[in-house]
Amino acid sequence: MDVSQRVLEYLTEVEEAAEDVLSTKQQMVDLDSRRNRNREALSVLRTDETEKVKVCFGNMFIKLPKLKTREMIQKDQEQLDMEINEFRKGLKAKVNRLNELQGKPELRGYSLSPLSTDEIKAVNSLFKR
Amino acid sequence: MATTKVPEVRDITRIERIGAHSHIRGLGLDDALEPRQVSQGMVGQLASRRAAGVILEMIKDGHIAGRAVLIAGQPGTGKTAIAMGIAQSLGPDTPFTAMAGSEIFSLEMSKTEALSQAFRKAIGVRIKEETEIIEGEVVEIQIDRPATGTGAKVGKLTLKTTEMETIYDLGNKMIDSLSKEKVQAGDVITIDKATGKISKLGRSFTRARDYDAMGAQTQFVQCPEGELQKRKEVVHTVSLHEIDVINSRTQGFLALFSGDTGEIKSEVREQINAKVCEWREEGKAEIIPGVLFIDEVHMLDMECFSFLNRALESDLSPVLIMATNRGITRIRGTNYQSPHGIPIDLLDRLLIIATSPYTEKETKQILKIRCEEEDVELSEEAHTVLTRIGMETSLRYAIQLISTAGLVCRKRKGTEVQVEDIKRVYSLFLDEARSSQYMKEYQDSFLFNETQTPSMDTS
Repeated sequence: MDVSQRVLEYLTEVEEAAEDVLSTKQQMVDLDSRRNRNREALSVLRTDETEKVKVCFGNMFIKLPKLKTREMIQKDQEQLDMEINEFRKGLKAKVNRLNELQGKPELRGYSLSPLSTDEIKAVNSLFKR
Repeated sequence: MATTKVPEVRDITRIERIGAHSHIRGLGLDDALEPRQVSQGMVGQLASRRAAGVILEMIKDGHIAGRAVLIAGQPGTGKTAIAMGIAQSLGPDTPFTAMAGSEIFSLEMSKTEALSQAFRKAIGVRIKEETEIIEGEVVEIQIDRPATGTGAKVGKLTLKTTEMETIYDLGNKMIDSLSKEKVQAGDVITIDKATGKISKLGRSFTRARDYDAMGAQTQFVQCPEGELQKRKEVVHTVSLHEIDVINSRTQGFLALFSGDTGEIKSEVREQINAKVCEWREEGKAEIIPGVLFIDEVHMLDMECFSFLNRALESDLSPVLIMATNRGITRIRGTNYQSPHGIPIDLLDRLLIIATSPYTEKETKQILKIRCEEEDVELSEEAHTVLTRIGMETSLRYAIQLISTAGLVCRKRKGTEVQVEDIKRVYSLFLDEARSSQYMKEYQDSFLFNETQTPSMDTS
């Protein structure tokens, strides 16, 4: 295999890894924006007085009871939270792979698991000085 | 009318002081660890720099902990320079603690306590903090106050990033903290999800032209990118000693005032060791063994040496680098003689790096580097003369002459130090050999003269 072929292959690999990272990031952004819209809907439902509300599915409005709607949205919210967490975990591995391909050193302390809130509170008194 | 005296204001530009080893920026090795003749402020000492480079790599990879290295050599052969080079190459993330052997003799704490603290300062613990935050630019704040004046306030906060925009309903508490922070439309803020703490990062660039009159301290930032609700991870590195200090402070208020901690109870240290080991097992902490450098190590006494022996065996131990300029001499605190003034059992654990005196060419190079560092221009002849002085007296003396000759040269409004300037300072300041010579000739006229005194006991 000649050199230019190998360089091309290597560069493709790097670009693919980078694209992977970027698309995951974009997916997280999309999910978060859905999560925020759901949250807005929930808060409107809380203040709304009417018995039934109109819910938009695709290009159709369907009248549904308020309780049922809230339940549905809440379920969707939980699902979204889970998915975002999954993406975050995956993103770490992908960033590590990209760094490795580019020959960059692994980020320091990247794979550590975080301290609990109590522990952080104790250690924080140190950083404030 | 009484004349008021205008106080004289004199601006003193802060002068960066130049230390003896300020020109050292690393060990001067290439990627294959081969030392370059002149690089990063280092000159010569190729074998010892190569050895130091090997040790440096092992420290970086975290392969060695609880090992000790001794740099031994005559005075003025670059021992401290090599240690400084190691410190510089380790980078800011690896803890490096430097102390002189005589520092442990203090009235406030025992010798072993001072050593323990130095040991623990040289061990870093890396931990991670993770917080969920909401970060965005404020588009609008709307607060409805009840007409009666009392009762709960309600409001809405619109936040945006470059990707999305959303409305938050505000409760009483959030409204209070928003008005306390004086948040207004156009500010970029973060809200900590767990605590509800709001912090202002600055004003958005897009609002930069809203007002012409703006305080100089107003900081402009970009509108945040991506999602609104983010997870922020911060990695901190602290030394074991710092953790010791906070934990011993809760017991005694005295430490708060003096800034000095005094002695730390061994129970506190044990508790912390246990906690840190627990964290490490849970994957919550990484331990970074750093470097403790003890200069003039022959100043330590027998007790300290046996403490070092023991401390190096602990599993939380840094890499110990020591330097000494002594040959076979008495171990402090005993009547026994030993090489470098260090007991044989400790010596046996050490990797020893030797430094040798500089050659004439190397001396010339070092003097040139120092001249650049001290901003003194030297003519070719003056450089040669100074090198001769450096070879015949000592390198340190020749380095001292650089700045003094520079002053003399400036006094006569010259730009380049000439041979005359060197001659002048050479006659003004005595070197060690000439000073001793003078003493021998005239000691009868000095006070408290004891003619038959043997030479100084340097141990």
